Amino acid sequence: MPEDDALMHILPSQTSSGSQRVMVEVAGLCKDFGAHRVLDNIHLTVDPGEVIAIIGPSGSGKSTLLRCINLLERPSAGAIRVGDVEIDAFRKITRRELLAFRRPIGMVFQSFNLFPHLSVLRNVSIAQERVLKRSREEADAVSRQLLERVGLGSKADQYPARCSGGQQQRIAIARALALEPELMLFDEPTSALDPELGLEVLNVMQELATAGMTMIVVTHEMHFAESVSNRVIIMADGKIIEEGPSVQVMRSPHSERAKQFLGAVLNR
Amino acid sequence: MIDMLEFWRQSLPQLLTGYRLSLLVTGASLFLGIPLGLLLALSLQTRSTWLKLPSLSVVEIGRGASILVLLQFVYFGMPSVGLTFSSFASVTIAFTWCTAAYTSEIIRAGLESVPQGQREAGEALGMTRLDILRIVILPQGLPVSVPALLGFSILMLQASSLAFVVALPELMSKAQLIGSNTFRYMPLFTLTAILYAAVCIPATIVVGFLERRLSRHF
Ligand SMILES: Nc1ncnc2c1ncn2[C@@H]1O[C@H](COP(=O)(O)OP(=O)(O)OP(=O)(O)O)[C@@H](O)[C@H]1O
Ligand SMILES: [Mg+2]
Repeated sequence: MPEDDALMHILPSQTSSGSQRVMVEVAGLCKDFGAHRVLDNIHLTVDPGEVIAIIGPSGSGKSTLLRCINLLERPSAGAIRVGDVEIDAFRKITRRELLAFRRPIGMVFQSFNLFPHLSVLRNVSIAQERVLKRSREEADAVSRQLLERVGLGSKADQYPARCSGGQQQRIAIARALALEPELMLFDEPTSALDPELGLEVLNVMQELATAGMTMIVVTHEMHFAESVSNRVIIMADGKIIEEGPSVQVMRSPHSERAKQFLGAVLNR
Repeated sequence: MIDMLEFWRQSLPQLLTGYRLSLLVTGASLFLGIPLGLLLALSLQTRSTWLKLPSLSVVEIGRGASILVLLQFVYFGMPSVGLTFSSFASVTIAFTWCTAAYTSEIIRAGLESVPQGQREAGEALGMTRLDILRIVILPQGLPVSVPALLGFSILMLQASSLAFVVALPELMSKAQLIGSNTFRYMPLFTLTAILYAAVCIPATIVVGFLERRLSRHF
């Protein structure tokens, strides 16, 4: 399928001036829920075009890390830079800064979170109109093209409830891509899906990765982590316990805790 | 029987002028009170104490004081501080207050029924808070409230009979007036009940229809 170069044109140009720079920089990130420290001094950098898989046991703080990166959760301490916008936990963030910060970031949720009262086409178009100020015609044209790319051109006029989970997740990906993000965050995008349907979604994600999108993917798909991502991060108890090139981390981790975790999931 | 029908035919025009007023005062109170209820529901959700405290008092007084007390407070009480309202205005003010207070709770429940993930999806897409409210939350939350709002509206129409205490010549006042002249209370109140029911029963059917229709896509 000639999908790869078709997705190319919707991605930000990799040759633009800022592209040499690290795209995401997380420094000293902590998150507390009451007395419970869920993220403990996280440091992380992501280069443009890099695909990072985050794995780790349940409750280790993977989702919280992802949600801090687009400020769905406010960090308790630390700084995060995405593209040219930086925020610091100790400074009050204005509403305008918040919107500017989120502008280059797309997110895909485990439970899709499509808008059930809007048609598939409106789901993909609405934020383009409101955030990018595109006209309805323009937005719809982009949406149809993206839906075509994720294999759902025929679903444009349906409502989300009439689509399978795998289809809904691909619509959610199209919805995020429509805003031309530079960074895509995925929080267990296939966990709510049957393996077969999950595969449809993973294929779309793989195409995106090949097309050069910068991605941070929280996943339980060990195959995706090993074969698609460039780098794997293993988290436990709010800390990064292992980090490195995917194959190395998956096959020969250094720390005992990581060996233990991988042993448990790979032998399942 | 013929006699009763004849009595009904004679009283109906008077009752209908009263009923028109009942519907008018109820309609005005709902028309003003429900949007106010929405505003109260929204300001109770904010973190700002400046919005929250006044809203909370309006809601608690509106729900705590009986509607009859509110009504007499406005009609008989306010003139002592120099504010005199006609009986129609008094009823509208008191009923609007009551409507705003009760519907704010109904609307709040509707808005809270929208899953948190919907708001988060809007935020992740970079939509403004107002857009999220307008495009994501209200279109999903308000339909949930519609049946309860209509149910409340029916109650308000029936409660509008309380307006007779401030001498508003609505349906109930008219019925009592005719009754005190003819003493034929039985057929009279039967007809009055039929008139209330003629609006309330179809409204109840519409509620059921709306409930089904609005839940279609979910
Ligand atoms: N809003 C919240 N309030 C309080 N505690 C929370 C909140 N969100 C998450 N937590 C806690 O933070 C810890 C990390 O949660 P998180 O969802 O980030 O884990 P996770 O690694 O994504 O797990 P899973 O694999 O189950 O999705 C958990 O102990 C969780 O109970
Ligand atoms: Mg999680």
